[in-house]
Amino acid sequence: MRHPLTENYRLFIFYALFWTVIGIINFVLLVLWYNVPFSYSLLDTSTTYILYPLLGSSIWYSIRYNSLEEVSILRLILFHLTAASILCGIWVYISYAIYKPFIGHDTNYLTNSLPSKVFLGYIMYIIFLVFFYAVNYYQSLKEKIKKESEYKTLIREAELQALKSQINPHFLFNSLNSISSLTVSNPEKAQEMVINLSTFMRYSLMHNEKEMVPFSREFENIKLYLSIEKVRFGKKLNAEFEIDTHCLDAEIPNMILQPLFENAIKYGVYETTEQVTIKTTCQCEGNVLEITIVNDFDSNSMKRKGEGIGLRNIRKRMEIIYNQPDLMKITDHKTSFEVQLIIPQKPTLS
Amino acid sequence: MSEKLQTLIIEDEELARNLLRSYLKDQPDIEVIGECENGFDGVKTINEKKPDLVFLDIQMPKITGFEMIELLDFKPKIIFTTAYDQYALKAFELNAIDYLLKPFSKERMIAAIEKVKQRIQNNEDIDEKLEELTNFRPGEEFIDRVVVKDRHKINIITVDQIRYIESLDDYVMIYTHDGRHMKQKTMKFFETNLDPKNFIRIHRSYIVQVDNIAEIQQYEKESYIVILKDKDKTKLKVSKTGYKKIKEILHF
Repeated sequence: MRHPLTENYRLFIFYALFWTVIGIINFVLLVLWYNVPFSYSLLDTSTTYILYPLLGSSIWYSIRYNSLEEVSILRLILFHLTAASILCGIWVYISYAIYKPFIGHDTNYLTNSLPSKVFLGYIMYIIFLVFFYAVNYYQSLKEKIKKESEYKTLIREAELQALKSQINPHFLFNSLNSISSLTVSNPEKAQEMVINLSTFMRYSLMHNEKEMVPFSREFENIKLYLSIEKVRFGKKLNAEFEIDTHCLDAEIPNMILQPLFENAIKYGVYETTEQVTIKTTCQCEGNVLEITIVNDFDSNSMKRKGEGIGLRNIRKRMEIIYNQPDLMKITDHKTSFEVQLIIPQKPTLS
Repeated sequence: MSEKLQTLIIEDEELARNLLRSYLKDQPDIEVIGECENGFDGVKTINEKKPDLVFLDIQMPKITGFEMIELLDFKPKIIFTTAYDQYALKAFELNAIDYLLKPFSKERMIAAIEKVKQRIQNNEDIDEKLEELTNFRPGEEFIDRVVVKDRHKINIITVDQIRYIESLDDYVMIYTHDGRHMKQKTMKFFETNLDPKNFIRIHRSYIVQVDNIAEIQQYEKESYIVILKDKDKTKLKVSKTGYKKIKEILHF
C-alpha cells in the first residue's frame, strides 16, 4: 500500500508547509509572548511540529487497514486508543531523549510538562486521524468515480457495438447470386457489382473505427447500397432523393441510415409485385439535420407489427450517442411508411 | 425415362431466373415450360399446367414458397431454392428435403435433379413431407397471416381479421369480418400457432378471437355458450376446459 504523502507530491508539500507554518507561529508566540527561553522554544516546536508529523505520517497505515465501514466501532476505538498510546509513548520518549543533552540538570521541567505533552500527543493523533481519513475518503471517491466512468464507457461501447447494424446475410447471398448470374449474361456488369459490393462492405466494416462521418459519405454509401439492390430488384425499386446540399457536411453516426433503407426494401419492395418508391428528403434547420425516408408498402399482404429490431436498434443507438430520446419518429400512413431521423449538430462557429 | 421433365421456375428476381434458365438450357431431361415472378402466378400456373418439377424460391413477395404449397391442388416435385433463411433450412433438415442454397453451382443443381428423377422412378411420394414443411413454425413466433384460396382467388388474411375458426373434418372454416374461407389445416395447427392471448380454443370445434366475444351465457347446468359480436349474434358451444380458459384470459 503506497503512502499518499510519497505518492502525491502536492499533498506532501502542503503537509510540510502546513506544519512548518504552525511551527513558526508556535515558536514566535513562545519566544515573544510567553517569554520562554529560546532553546526551550526551539526544542518544543521542533518535537511537536517536526517530529510528530514525521511519526504521525504512519497513522495512515492504521486507518488504511481499519476502514470505517468494515470494522465495528468498539474495535475501532480500541485499536486507535492503543495505536495513539504507542505513538505517544514513542514520541515522548524520543522528544525527551532530544531534550536531555540541552537541559540536562532541569529535570523538573520534564516532569511538569509530561501530562500536557501526553495530552498534546493524543490530540495530535486525533487531528492526524481525521486528516488521513479525509485523504483516504477523497482518494477512494476519486478512484470510484474514475472506475465508474471507465465502466460506463465500456458498457456504452459494447452497447453501441451491438446496436450497429450487421450486414444482413440474406442481402449478401442474394447479391452474390445476382453476380453469379451476371457472370454468364453480362460479365462487365458483374464486375461492377463486385466492386460496388466490396466498397459497401468496406464502409460497413469501417464503422468499428469511427463513430461519426460526414453526411456526404453516409449518403454515398446509401446510394451504393441502393444501386446493388437495384440490380436485384430492377424497376421494382425506385429511389428518389431531395437533398439540400448544405447538409452534406453535417455529422452523422455511420451506418445509421442503411438499416432504414434495408427496412424500406424488406417491407416495401420485397413484399409487393409493383414498383415501390423510396423517397429520401434531407434538410438542415438550425442545429439539426433532418432526414426523412418514406416508402410505399402493400398493406394487404401484411400487418406491420410496429417497430422491428432494426428500427429499435437505431432508436437505442441514437439515444446513447446523443443522450436524448425521440430522435426517431415513425409514422404509418397506411399505404406508406415514414421514418424521420433528427440528428443534432454541434453549434458551428460563424 | 423417355419423356422430358416439364419444369417450372418460380422466382421473383430476374437475374436468379436467368441463371436457372441458363443452367437448365442444355439439360437433356428438362424442358422449361414457364417462369413465374410471384407466388400468385405460381399457384395458378402449377394448377393449370401440372408440371413434373418446380424450382421454387422461398422468399417471395405476397406469399412465400411455403404458403404456396398449402394452396396447390396438384403437387409436383419441388426443388427449393433460398439465399439465406435459417428457419427454412431447419425445416428442410427436419424433413430431409433437398434444397439449393443460392448461389449454387450447375453441378449441385444437376445432383438435385438426379435425386428427383430417382424419386419419380421409385414412385416416392413426398406430399406428407411437404405438408409437414408448411406446418413447421420457427421458434416461438406466432403466425401473423393465413393464405387461403377461394375458387380461383388467393386471399391473404391477417390474423386480426379472423373472428373465429370452425373445424370441419380435415378442413377448417375461417370466419372473417367479410366472409368465410376454407383451409386444409388442422385445429391443432391454429391452436398452437395463433397467439393464445388473442385466440382461445373454446371447444373441440371452435377457436375464437377474444375481442370478438360479446357475452357468455349459461345454457344448461355446467354448460355454456359464447355469443359473438356480429349482426347475427352467432352462438358457439363452450366445453368445460374451454370455459376455464375463457375465465383465465378474461379474468372473471
